[in-house]
Amino acid sequence: MAEIADADKDKPKKIVIDVGDGAAIPSKEDVGLFTAWRVAFTGSIAIVAYLAIFHPDPYWRILKFLPDGILVTFQVTIAAIILSLVIGLFTGLGRISKNKILNGIASLYVEVIRGIPLLVQLFYIYFALGRIVNVPAMASAIIAMSVCYGAYMGEIFRAGIESIPKGQMEAARSLGMTSAQAMRHVILPQAIKTILPPVGNEFVALLKDSSLVSILAVSDLLRRGREFAAESFNYFETYTMVALVYLIITLFLSKLISIMEDRVGANR
Amino acid sequence: MPTDKSPVMVEMRDVYKYFGQLKALDNVSLDVYDGEKMVLIGPSGSGKSTLLRSINQLEKIDRGHIIVDGIDISDPETDINKVREEIGMVFQSFNVFPHKTVLENVSLAQVVVRKRSKKEASEISRELLDKVGIIEKANEYPEKLSGGQQQRVAIARALAMKPKIMLFDEPTSALDPEMIGEVLEVMIKLAKEGITMIVVTHEMGFAREVADRIIFMDYGAIVEEGTPEHFFKNPIQERTKIFLNQIL
Ligand SMILES: Nc1ncnc2c1ncn2[C@@H]1O[C@H](COP(=O)(O)OP(=O)(O)O)[C@@H](O)[C@H]1O
Ligand SMILES: [Mg+2]
Repeated sequence: MAEIADADKDKPKKIVIDVGDGAAIPSKEDVGLFTAWRVAFTGSIAIVAYLAIFHPDPYWRILKFLPDGILVTFQVTIAAIILSLVIGLFTGLGRISKNKILNGIASLYVEVIRGIPLLVQLFYIYFALGRIVNVPAMASAIIAMSVCYGAYMGEIFRAGIESIPKGQMEAARSLGMTSAQAMRHVILPQAIKTILPPVGNEFVALLKDSSLVSILAVSDLLRRGREFAAESFNYFETYTMVALVYLIITLFLSKLISIMEDRVGANR
Repeated sequence: MPTDKSPVMVEMRDVYKYFGQLKALDNVSLDVYDGEKMVLIGPSGSGKSTLLRSINQLEKIDRGHIIVDGIDISDPETDINKVREEIGMVFQSFNVFPHKTVLENVSLAQVVVRKRSKKEASEISRELLDKVGIIEKANEYPEKLSGGQQQRVAIARALAMKPKIMLFDEPTSALDPEMIGEVLEVMIKLAKEGITMIVVTHEMGFAREVADRIIFMDYGAIVEEGTPEHFFKNPIQERTKIFLNQIL
């Protein structure tokens, strides 16, 4: 017994540092985080309310100016999530494909995207698109975000698919299903459970990163803030408000996702 | 009882299969007749699973030919999915679909592959679940089932395609001893219906009762074949004797 314990001690322990890109999504087991979430959420709402009510100039004016931007931020985020999920699905399938060409393309895409800073990619795709076709700023921003996030989504899909025991694919194939049929009816429905939590994290991360599109003539939350600040010279007050609004949205979204995950987990 | 005058259902000719350097099938030639029950025995790692899996091309062979019901599956022109529809397979680890109910497990490929209507598929599934004695679990998810019950679902699922051949790869090896009987019972019932069966198993009681022929494999090659009587009374090869001594 003692010997085994010693042997265990000598082995380097596998350390998992669980720091995601997105805000930590609280789960009920994680009590510390759960209360931290509460404090942050109610606290930020209270501060916003206090400032808007007791210092309406400029805070209430700022708050009234921001909703258009919030809407745009949501539009960019949701459109980019949907598009990046589609790209991610095909990238993930490409990454596990035995077809050398498909696999090569998917892998190259993932490597290239992961090697370039998001902001640089945004600029690049935005201006590259602008050269070829005349798309609205909003559309190019969404496409750029989706192309970037699609690579990460692809890795999530790949991991999810690979988490399903290979006997499942074999059983489906032995019944005469094509690999596409087996993927659709047997593998993906099971992989969803594994895929959903990291996709939730990406969702939150994408929402925050969407602030980068403010550089591309898209009037999102951050850009609306910049516009207000530039006119009123209330830089500190404006960015305080912008930061608080981002925080509230992000916390709210995290909560929503954790509830959704519970649902999916419970009802299989 | 099928004899070598019956038509050949599975024909293997000079089949080789390598995993890297390892020769998993070493010049295997074998005819399985229509309706024949063949039992495959041999030590772990002797290539039994590989042989079975090469018949429905879960493993691609490196050399030789495998002809299933007149179709050469090693021919690149062959639509392997069509051939697989005719070959049911039952795995050691059941491989039931955990996200589907028992009924859906049995119906899925009927709808997706055989293009039967949901209603027709459900009727067929119910008949088969009744046959394997598990109809009362039709709406349960597999996680609620014992191993023996899951394996019977897997058998019903394979049968739902109305296959001509059934492959069983150690179907009772992962089961608790008290559940082995219920699965073997279903297999014996099935054997009496005339379907061609190739079964990897070490349940010699089953082999004695059901097998027309037993094949003993070692190191990827067929070492000895004969009737159950031959194997139990006077096996010839030394390796066969040693192996039988170990498992009997
Ligand atoms: N996918 C694989 N990759 C590499 N080696 C394999 C693979 N599958 C089987 N083998 C090897 O091939 C040999 C035969 O395996 P198998 O057919 O599973 O034997 P059995 O079913 O008789 O135990 C074994 O040595 C096994 O380790
Ligand atoms: Mg085996």
